[in-house]
Amino acid sequence: MAGRVDHEYDYLFKIVLIGDSGVGKSNILSRFTRNEFCLESKSTIGVEFATKTLQIEGKTVKAQIWDTAGQERYRAITSAYYRGAVGALLVYDITKKQTFDNVNRWLRELREHADSNIVIMMTGNKSDLNHLRAVADQDGQNLAEKEGLSFLETSALEALNVERAFQTILTEIYHIVSKKALAAQEAASAAALPGQGTTINVNDPSGNDKRGCCST
Amino acid sequence: MVNKRVPDWLNSSLWSSPQPPPSPPPPSPPPLSAVAISDPPLLIPPPPAIARPSEPPPSSTSSSPYAHAPKGENRDPLTSSYANNTSVYCTDDDEDDGSPSYSAPSNGGDSGAAAPPPPAAQDVSRQAQILQELSRKVINMVELRKLASQGLPDGAGIRATVWKLLLGYLPTDRFLWPSELAKKRSQYKQFKEELLMNPSEITRRMEKSSLENHELEAGSPGFMSRSEISHGEHPLSLGKSSVWNQFFQETEIKEQIDRDVMRTHPDIHFFSGDSTFAKSNQEALKNILNLFAKLNPGIRYVQGMNELLAPLFYMFKNDPDEENAASAEADTFFCFVELMSGFRDNFVQQLDNSVVGIRATISRLSHLLKEHDEELWRHLEMTTKVNPQFYAFRWITLLLTQEFNFADSLFIWDTLLSDPDGPQETLLRVCCAMLVIVRKRLLAGDFTSNLKLLQNYPSTNISHILYVANKLRAH
Repeated sequence: MAGRVDHEYDYLFKIVLIGDSGVGKSNILSRFTRNEFCLESKSTIGVEFATKTLQIEGKTVKAQIWDTAGQERYRAITSAYYRGAVGALLVYDITKKQTFDNVNRWLRELREHADSNIVIMMTGNKSDLNHLRAVADQDGQNLAEKEGLSFLETSALEALNVERAFQTILTEIYHIVSKKALAAQEAASAAALPGQGTTINVNDPSGNDKRGCCST
Repeated sequence: MVNKRVPDWLNSSLWSSPQPPPSPPPPSPPPLSAVAISDPPLLIPPPPAIARPSEPPPSSTSSSPYAHAPKGENRDPLTSSYANNTSVYCTDDDEDDGSPSYSAPSNGGDSGAAAPPPPAAQDVSRQAQILQELSRKVINMVELRKLASQGLPDGAGIRATVWKLLLGYLPTDRFLWPSELAKKRSQYKQFKEELLMNPSEITRRMEKSSLENHELEAGSPGFMSRSEISHGEHPLSLGKSSVWNQFFQETEIKEQIDRDVMRTHPDIHFFSGDSTFAKSNQEALKNILNLFAKLNPGIRYVQGMNELLAPLFYMFKNDPDEENAASAEADTFFCFVELMSGFRDNFVQQLDNSVVGIRATISRLSHLLKEHDEELWRHLEMTTKVNPQFYAFRWITLLLTQEFNFADSLFIWDTLLSDPDGPQETLLRVCCAMLVIVRKRLLAGDFTSNLKLLQNYPSTNISHILYVANKLRAH
């Protein structure tokens, strides 16, 4: 029927795409969800939304991805979109040093507005433009290590590592959530000390049950 | 339960029929003097901005039926944009596989694209009426607004001229047009010379004039002594007042503008591609946005302004009057300023949480929906938790330019710009109508499908949307 309500997934994970304007967030999203790339795609105003369902370790995971506008002016507005997000893909452009320098500002932004346990993956996009490279792969690695983030260089144009980036972050989230569920189970069955379980706090309704936060 | 809160008029068979019934003609308009064109300041002051000057009270609301969208016009750039918003997200796993009908709740069928083309005679007569209005010594704005609200033909430069009038750029007295245009166009030229000059050009001129002075004083054509070059104007100078310092600060905005202008209507040759034509159009858009940003430091450039600029520039540049086309950049600049004066608050971050900012505007849309279709409102906002910000932010800030193909959004702008209540009120009614028109699908949808539907609004007969929007006015 029209507008069918879909419950055909085991987990629903909300991911936000952030990073400076023009780094290729929307193309990463369209490459991942529709296998499309557009060299001159329009700038994103406000927020755009897409979903994709994939298999992770035998479970059906639905990724709900929110693509946000990059410009400073939109940050206050888009911060509302961080609510309930269990993952963030923080994108910079390997040909624009400034977008890499701003990664710290985005991390601050996440700390202020998102759940403190949000899983963050940093990606250096446009790796196809190696001849214009302004940020060394190693610099990305180092920063990721320092900040405790996962890291990959991607090319939405060449469809390089985009799938892998999402797969990685979703798997990481899945592990946390399933471990947490397991811990909760064990705690319940063994009547473990209260409060001893994991402190990971990805327990908003969108994260770990079959009922999507937003479904009826 | 379904139709409980639905107002009667919504279920009327009228509004899915392509030709709404004739209604009595509105009372004849008051004399011209009743419609003073609001005269917003040219330069928008930094926030907090004041409310825009109030328009005259609504005259008799236009109840005449909306005509068709000007779809049939075969302008190359327009037709190339047609397929634009149908392909989006089509392969997505939540694509609504359901009914193609998203029209009136009670009569499923045909709100879609299928309005039959209206008789050409009607077109011709409306065009004749508009031309007649435009040929008056002093334009009757009440009459013109009424005609324009039904959609303007864009042949013969009519839309370009009428928009300039509706935006208050052209005075109502035709006699004043040549002098007013000449004044504005030369003012624009001056702005450009003063504000868009590269600092090396400025310093070069400084050097030059200082050299000239030197020559005058010394009477010798010799070299300028080093001390004559102001150290403050050296590119590596750290002085705050240095033209270079300012230049570097502005570089970020400039780059943002460049990026966004490149991405404006990538599917329309007028705006995009490698032709010299497209390049020169892009240059014009960049100049206007850079100039606007410099003259309005409280707003500067906000992403999306390029999309508001595009329709104005497109119309003015395509004016068959060569002089107008040649001055399209200047005319567009001033009209853009006028347009922004009614919508600027939505762009100002500092006003986001004020009563005039974008959040407040979105809340007003939400109230409007609640008032007219509480069931839909409840389902959207309570049951499926679709925060109106998720879709209406773009609808409102970009005046619906992204939701429909280019030709259709021009048609919507005819109505927005011609409303004496001010464009924002009309805009909110149009947005509300868009929701109501797809209510059947929304009521059947969950969060994901509803948000996707609203972020990728299905192509719809624009006249129909405008007709429903106009009905909302009366209730």
